[in-house]
Amino acid sequence: MIKTVDLEKVFVVRDQEVRAVDGITTHIKSGEVVVVIGPSGSGKSTYLRCLNGLETLTAGHVHVDGIDLADRKTDMNKVRREVGMVFQQFNLFPHKTVLENLVLAQMKVRKRKRSEAEEKGRTLLKKVGISEKESSYPSQLSGGQQQRVAIARALAMEPKVMLFDEPTSALDPEMVGEVLEVMKQLAREGMTMVVVTHEMGFAREVADRVLFMDYGKLVEEGTPEHFFEEPKEERAKLFLRQVL
Amino acid sequence: MIVVGLWIATKRIDYTWRWNRIPQYFVYHDKDAKTSDVDGTVTSLVNIGNQTTVTVRSEDGDDSTYIIDTKTANLKVDEYLLEGDTVGSIAEWKAGPLSVGLWVTLWISAVASVIGLVIGVVTGLCRVSQNLTLRQLSITYIEIIRGTPLLVQLFIFYFFLGTVLDIGRIPSGIGALGIFAGAYVAEIIRAGIQSIPKGQMEAARSLGMNVPKAMVYIILPQAFKRTLPPLAGQFISLIKDSSLVSVIAITDLTKSGREVITSTFAVFEIWFVVAFLYLILTFSLSQVVAWVERRLAVSD
Ligand SMILES: Nc1ncnc2c1ncn2[C@@H]1O[C@H](COP(=O)(O)OP(=O)(O)OP(=O)(O)O)[C@@H](O)[C@H]1O
Ligand SMILES: [Mg+2]
Repeated sequence: MIKTVDLEKVFVVRDQEVRAVDGITTHIKSGEVVVVIGPSGSGKSTYLRCLNGLETLTAGHVHVDGIDLADRKTDMNKVRREVGMVFQQFNLFPHKTVLENLVLAQMKVRKRKRSEAEEKGRTLLKKVGISEKESSYPSQLSGGQQQRVAIARALAMEPKVMLFDEPTSALDPEMVGEVLEVMKQLAREGMTMVVVTHEMGFAREVADRVLFMDYGKLVEEGTPEHFFEEPKEERAKLFLRQVL
Repeated sequence: MIVVGLWIATKRIDYTWRWNRIPQYFVYHDKDAKTSDVDGTVTSLVNIGNQTTVTVRSEDGDDSTYIIDTKTANLKVDEYLLEGDTVGSIAEWKAGPLSVGLWVTLWISAVASVIGLVIGVVTGLCRVSQNLTLRQLSITYIEIIRGTPLLVQLFIFYFFLGTVLDIGRIPSGIGALGIFAGAYVAEIIRAGIQSIPKGQMEAARSLGMNVPKAMVYIILPQAFKRTLPPLAGQFISLIKDSSLVSVIAITDLTKSGREVITSTFAVFEIWFVVAFLYLILTFSLSQVVAWVERRLAVSD
C-alpha cells in the first residue's frame, strides 16, 4: 500500500540542518494498522506528512499504491484524496457546519452531487456517533466530538489509507476514549492505518506492527508483543521505561 | 458647549446664518413651460387632480397632448393656438447640486471600491503566492501606491494617462481611486490570509483540494470575515478620499459644495452640510458592515 525507500526530510532553519526523517525504509501493507511511537522531536509527524506529500521529500521515495510521490509528474491532489489524514488540532473548517465539513471536499474533489455527498456525510456522522450535531459549527463541539468529525471528514473521501497524527493529544483525558473507540472500529473494519500516538494501550491492543523512531531514524520495529515485552534496542527500552 | 461656543464666535464676526437657503440646493421646484408644437385648435381640457391634460388638434387632424398644472391653464376649448404659443406650465421637483454631488460621490466611491476590492484580492493573493515574480510585482505596486500622495496619483491619472489613453475625467478619477484603494486592500487581504492557521490549508490539501480550491472555499471565506473591519475602514477612507477628485473637475459632493458657495456665500452652512452628508455615507457603510459581521458571526 505505502512503501518508503530511504526517505529523508531535512529542514534548514537559519543555516542549521535538521534531519527530521533520516533514511526510513518501510512497507505498510493493505489492511495493516501501524503505530509509530518515539520521543518528541524524533520526526514522527514529519514522516507521516511525507506519506501524503504535505512535506516535500529531500531524498528517497514514497510509493502510494504504486505511485511515486518523489516523481515531479505525480498529481499530488489525486494521491491525497486516497490518503485521509487526521490532525492533532482537528483542523475542522470553522466557517462550515459539521455536515458541510464532510460534504465540501466530496463535491469539489470527488465531484459528487450534493444529495449523494450529504447522504454519505450523514452515514459517517452516525458511524462516529454525532449525527445530532450535523448543523452545529465546530466551535460548538467538544474536542472529542470535533476529532470524530475530523475522522468522518477524512473517511467521506473513501480513502484507502488513514494517517493519524497524535489524534488524542489535544483532548481532555475523558474524551480520549471516544476517539480511540472510533479508531478501533475502523481498524476492525480492515482500514489501513498509520497512527502516531502516545497511547500505548491503543498500540498494544490494535497495532499489527509498531515502529519506534528516534532522531529521524527507524530504530526498532515489530509486533506489539515483541516491542513492549522484549525490545532489543537500548533506546527503545529507555523510552518504554519513561512512558509506561 | 461647542454649539454655544460656535454661536458666540460667529456672533463676534457678524456672520448671518442663512440655513433657509440650503434646502433649495437639494431639491427645487422648477416651472417647466409647455408650448404648442403645432398650429391647431384646443379640442379638450381634462382635469385630473391639480393637472390638466390639454389636447390640441392640428390642421392636419393630428392630436397632441400636454399635461400642465390646472392653475396655469388659461385656455378654452376651440381656442386657436399657433406653434410656440404657451399652453401652460408644470412645476416639477428637480435635484439640486448638492443631491447630484452626493449621488456622484456615492457611485464614484462604489465603483472605485469594487475595482479596489478586485485589485486588492488579486494582489493580495499574488503577495502570498509561491511565485517570486508575482510576489515582487505585487510588492512593487503596493510600495509605489502607498509611497505617493493620492492627489499626485490623481493628477498623473488625469493629465498623463487620461491624455495618452484618451479616457475622460470620471474614468480617470475612478481608476485612480480604485488603484489607490487596491494597494491598501491587498495588504489587508494578505494579513487576513496569513492570519488563518496553517492547519486549515493542510486539512484542505489533505482532502485532495488544489491550492485555488482551498483558497476559494477554505482560506478566503475565513480571511474575509477577519478582514471585514479593516476593509470597512478602508472603504470609509475611500469615500472621504473621493473628495479629492474635485481637483480634476469632477462635480462630486465637495465640488458641488464649492459651487453652491460661490452663488450663496453661505460658506459655513454649506461646509457643515457637506460634512454631514459625508458622515451619512460613511455611517451607513459602517452600519451595513456591522450587519454583515453579525450575520457571519453565527459560526463563532
Ligand atoms: N516546518 C519545519 N521547519 C523546521 N523544522 C521542523 C519543521 N517541522 C519539524 N521540524 C523539526 O523536525 C524535527 C522533527 O519534528 P516532528 O514534528 O516530526 O517530531 P515529532 O516526532 O512529531 O514530535 P512530537 O512528538 O513533539 O510531535 C524537530 O526537530 C522539529 O523541530
Ligand atoms: Mg508530532
